[in-house]
Amino acid sequence: MNIHEYQAKKILNRYGIYIPRGKIAYTPNEAKKSAIHVSMRGPWMLKAQIQSGARAKGHFLEAKAGSKGGIRQVKRRRDIAVEAEKMLGATLCTPQTGPKGKFVSRIYVEAFQKVEKKFYIGLVINRLEAKITLLVAKIEDKGKDIAVIAVENPEKILKLPLDLEQGASKEQIAQVRQFLNLEEFSIRHLSRMINGMHRAFVENDATMIEINPAGVTRRGQILALDAKMSFDDKALFRHPEIKQLQDEYEQDDRTLRAGKFGFQYQEFDGGNIGCIVNGDGIALTAMDLISSKGQGTTCFLNVKGGVDKDKIAAGIKIIMTNPKVEGILINILGGFLRCNLIADGIVAAASEVGLNVPLVVRFEGTNKDEAREILQSSKLPLIITDNMEDSVDKLIQAIEESE
Amino acid sequence: MSILANKNTRVLIQGITGTQASFHVRRSLDYGTNIVGGVTPGKGGQEHLGLPVFNTVKEAIEATGANASVLFVPATAVKSAVREDAEAGLELAVCISDNVPVRDMLEIKNILRGGKTIFVGPNTPGIITPGEARLGIFPENIHRKGKVGIVSRSSTLTYEAVLETNRAGLGQSTVIGLGDDMLIGMDYIEALERFSADDETEAVILIGQLGGRFEEMAAEHYKNMTRKKPVLAFVAGNAMPFGHKMGYAGDIMSGGKVSALDKQNCMREAGMTVVEKINQIHEELQKIQRLYA
Repeated sequence: MNIHEYQAKKILNRYGIYIPRGKIAYTPNEAKKSAIHVSMRGPWMLKAQIQSGARAKGHFLEAKAGSKGGIRQVKRRRDIAVEAEKMLGATLCTPQTGPKGKFVSRIYVEAFQKVEKKFYIGLVINRLEAKITLLVAKIEDKGKDIAVIAVENPEKILKLPLDLEQGASKEQIAQVRQFLNLEEFSIRHLSRMINGMHRAFVENDATMIEINPAGVTRRGQILALDAKMSFDDKALFRHPEIKQLQDEYEQDDRTLRAGKFGFQYQEFDGGNIGCIVNGDGIALTAMDLISSKGQGTTCFLNVKGGVDKDKIAAGIKIIMTNPKVEGILINILGGFLRCNLIADGIVAAASEVGLNVPLVVRFEGTNKDEAREILQSSKLPLIITDNMEDSVDKLIQAIEESE
Repeated sequence: MSILANKNTRVLIQGITGTQASFHVRRSLDYGTNIVGGVTPGKGGQEHLGLPVFNTVKEAIEATGANASVLFVPATAVKSAVREDAEAGLELAVCISDNVPVRDMLEIKNILRGGKTIFVGPNTPGIITPGEARLGIFPENIHRKGKVGIVSRSSTLTYEAVLETNRAGLGQSTVIGLGDDMLIGMDYIEALERFSADDETEAVILIGQLGGRFEEMAAEHYKNMTRKKPVLAFVAGNAMPFGHKMGYAGDIMSGGKVSALDKQNCMREAGMTVVEKINQIHEELQKIQRLYA
């Protein structure tokens, strides 16, 4: 689960990390009040709150928002509401959001902070080593973007594995200071930031913290000028206060509903086939097969190892009621999940919302024979097959015939 | 022969009294798996499915001589369950439990470092050596005893690979699901090493998955192995379009190479045979067999 910049900053601030004064605003009027609240004098930063990097480089889809990006500097007090009005309710597209962009429901208003130097600092999990890893990179004016450095000059990024309990050692923090060419007196602030990040990471079950950039003031103080945090979905039960930060605007309605049943749902541009599968690998394999036949997947639902018949029926309904779906492919390889539950779910969902498009089903594994029997005795107009490629062929054919 | 588990493996079930555990343990027993007992704290002294139940792993080992364990415990209990396994020096712990928090896995990996316990999973269908032992939840009716080793991060695609070995008329020596959580215990490298040391295994199917660099590391390792067997590899995800990202930390860790194609290229360069479609596996297996016959 991801949260917004202003929420991440609030959490990091609780762990001793300095942040510029800021306040959230949902309306132009609130933006104006927030600005005065954080600083009597400009300039102010108006920052669109969407969960994506590269917001400054983004553009809005609506003309009313003007041509500038999602991070705007405003010098005069009377321009704050005007600028906020343009951004609020508009859709911001960045290199990380894809062409659909994301809806801006709120703006973070911050006092502009002058800094002498900027750098990138992050914590992430190294999956191979199973260690929390500190990432640090210099940011130079007119230098390469961190996204480019990551790919072209990975050696320019300092990567330090941290001890799970102790965090960064004194030597590691000294190494970071040297790497960044910071003044000796900055070490206290650097240490404060790194230790704060590590504690925030471990205590909140985070999977990623990114401060991009951190800024160093003339007096050596280090602040988080931006912040991103992601959390482990499997540990949210330990953090109800974080779970309630989830922004429903960040996900579309169907994804949200599927998520509530514990399923994964994803939509794609183009395509007309809806897939229901039980696993990431099988979802990707089905999509590859469909695309190898010149067709496209418009959405898939991954019911994972679901064992609740009613939830499965509700999940299947999400696909059946998506107007872009012209044909449904169900491919279930039962192990933990029993195929007969899926069959019951299909019958229940079809009887409630009707089955108006071709449906091809393939079952293999645990309780597959019971599952086929349930479908056959339901008299639903569906096709049952024995292998995945065959089911894709039959579905494409059925869609063509139904047109 | 086979790897990790066979008919002589003496298996414990941690969390044996749960509903899902009971369903699958019964099937494993019917399959002939040498299950010697179960562990559920607080239920020691009872009997379940005809097996003795113990309070701790240590007690269970003393009474039964168990050397492997399958975990069906609740996610929040996995950490302490693995600690018991590691302290008791069990050779193998297979974790079926899902939803283990990443932070718990970080601690579990620390617990396991330097020890002798091989931890498989979490969130894995387990390990099956056809005709001998079923440690987990594999749909046993599709398995045939044979010559091909299978190792996979994707559960469902493992079943698909099994069906392909059947189509090729070769069957499986041992099938291992690694699980696909952010952090996993055993990885491909350990499996490749063990399969190449196993007389019965003639070829290996490696099923990869998007995310992480486990396949790249396996390819790198395979390139330098002196004693190796032919590996057939498959990674799905060529049709996966742009995915939404947040931030750059992921790119930094992957060096920007995250596509299925990147993985396929890596494995091809290392000398593995990479198939584009999963249902091409049986044909490639037959080619390999002719080559080595």
